[in-house]
Amino acid sequence: MATSAEAPGGVRAAKLRKTLLGYVPIESPFYRYHPVTRLIMFVFFGVVPIFIDMPEINFALVVCTILLLVWGQADLKRLRIYMPMIVTIAIFMFLVVILAPGNDPTFTPIHIGPLTIYYQPVYFTFASYWRLMAMLFGTILYFSTNRERDMLVALRSLKLPFLASYVVGFSIRAAGMFMEDFNTIREAEQARGLDKSALKLGDQVKLYVMYLVPLFSIALRRADEISHALFARGYNFTGRVGHGNKRSDYILTQYTMTGMDWLVIAVLMTLFVGAAVAEYGFGAFRLPHSPINILLHHLLGLGWPS
Amino acid sequence: MTNAVVIKDLEWKYEHTTQFALRGINLEIPENTFLGIVGANEQGKTTLINSICGLIPHSFNGVYRGSVEIYGSPVLKMSGLEIATQVGLVFADPEAQFTAMTVEEELVFGLENTGYDLGKIKERLDWAVGVTMIGDLLDKSPYDISGGQKQRMAIACVLAMNPPIIIMDEPTSMIDPLGKQFIFDILRKLKDAGDRTIIVVEHNIEQLAPLADQLLLMQDGQIARMAPPAHFFDDLPNIVGSGVYPPEVTSFAYWLKQSGYVPPEQVLPNRFDEGVTLMQDALRNARDNR
Repeated sequence: MATSAEAPGGVRAAKLRKTLLGYVPIESPFYRYHPVTRLIMFVFFGVVPIFIDMPEINFALVVCTILLLVWGQADLKRLRIYMPMIVTIAIFMFLVVILAPGNDPTFTPIHIGPLTIYYQPVYFTFASYWRLMAMLFGTILYFSTNRERDMLVALRSLKLPFLASYVVGFSIRAAGMFMEDFNTIREAEQARGLDKSALKLGDQVKLYVMYLVPLFSIALRRADEISHALFARGYNFTGRVGHGNKRSDYILTQYTMTGMDWLVIAVLMTLFVGAAVAEYGFGAFRLPHSPINILLHHLLGLGWPS
Repeated sequence: MTNAVVIKDLEWKYEHTTQFALRGINLEIPENTFLGIVGANEQGKTTLINSICGLIPHSFNGVYRGSVEIYGSPVLKMSGLEIATQVGLVFADPEAQFTAMTVEEELVFGLENTGYDLGKIKERLDWAVGVTMIGDLLDKSPYDISGGQKQRMAIACVLAMNPPIIIMDEPTSMIDPLGKQFIFDILRKLKDAGDRTIIVVEHNIEQLAPLADQLLLMQDGQIARMAPPAHFFDDLPNIVGSGVYPPEVTSFAYWLKQSGYVPPEQVLPNRFDEGVTLMQDALRNARDNR
């Protein structure tokens, strides 16, 4: 969606385009690149952390994605909505590893008052947390700067069958519609005087279970409507089209790959393959090479990490 | 004149229901005419048009008797694609027919299904966008535009496919008065072009009657009445009794006729300007007779 926003002071801001997770200006530098390039960037930021144990590099990837968001003119304030998730994940992961560290005798105990924690599992959790954050921020970057249409164009450009890309698009849309329906039901309840904050926890859980009934019936109705709409527009899942012709893909013709796209893809692919080879061939990104890990080992008198 | 649609002894009962939703429907719709379908809710209007566009029986389960033919081909034996190239359907709820992520994709989706090449798709797209004036919406999500824009887009989707028969199911039911007027303006353009068979289910008879060549009243799953708008309201009490309210000007003219102010053979008007002329004539006659 392209829209104008009223900036503080009454100045008309640049036209914005609605992406999957927010808005970016139509003139965002991201849109100079083909959707395939943007998808490959997503794959790079989403998959590379899998190769990397070292939290420093994963942290650097997080910083990199934030810089890309700034460069792409995305609204960084929207990152605040992910803060509860980021904090909750941290609390959950560290609580589990502190309360249930396992009983490996090689673990190094650290006593903090009455609490005993073990260094190795805590540091591994720290590293895993930053790996997860790098993947999360890579996803936020992609979904904050791309629309469903960009994703579909990328998938179809990569020769994914029309039906498969269509199902992907529909799934994204279904998730959005599900949330919209959920909000509608909640607003309807509030309009009829339901004060959720006054309910006990058990009653709130029951309430959420009760939401499932209208949500599923709405989802079934929508599925019916979409099936009728597809029939009315002549779509069939065999992929056969009229006049005996091959299916034309009009939207793909609106995008062209430029030299810059190929260059970015080449750089990303090289980095990707390099990271995979460095990790699986030489173990370059494993925890014993982590500078923070080395420093802490020395501070705790554990020698070099192995 | 060639018939675009011929329905013979059509009966339809939805699965898990006890009563037939359509009973004994016999109907011929000549090519390039405008048929307005009216009636109260739950009388079979949508079921009738779903039968014409093939959703019944292809997408609904139930008992189907009789036949529906589109240009001589039975709907029962046509594929969805074959029907879609002949009949375009605009749903009452435009959101119910969205299949894509942007307005532009939505518009070309049907064209891609019908196998047009890219040049033809572009040509049809530009034409449909021009008629419905949605050029500035192409980049937007169909969910992020206003109700009237959604309905115009839904109509554009059907127009782009260029079917000889266009069916609209209450196309103005979810939009504001200005949006309604815009839809009727599009219908007027299509009617004036005279190269399509148009079938419109609509409660807004005030606007529908002046456009229609024939009006059809559905009641209890049957065709209760079918006539040109000039004579459709001759039996006005029964029409009103079936839950359909005629244009105000028609009701007023009917009262004038019943009260003897206009001659019994007077054709009832359904447009405001016709009503004004009738009133002027009635006043002139009254003055002359005095």
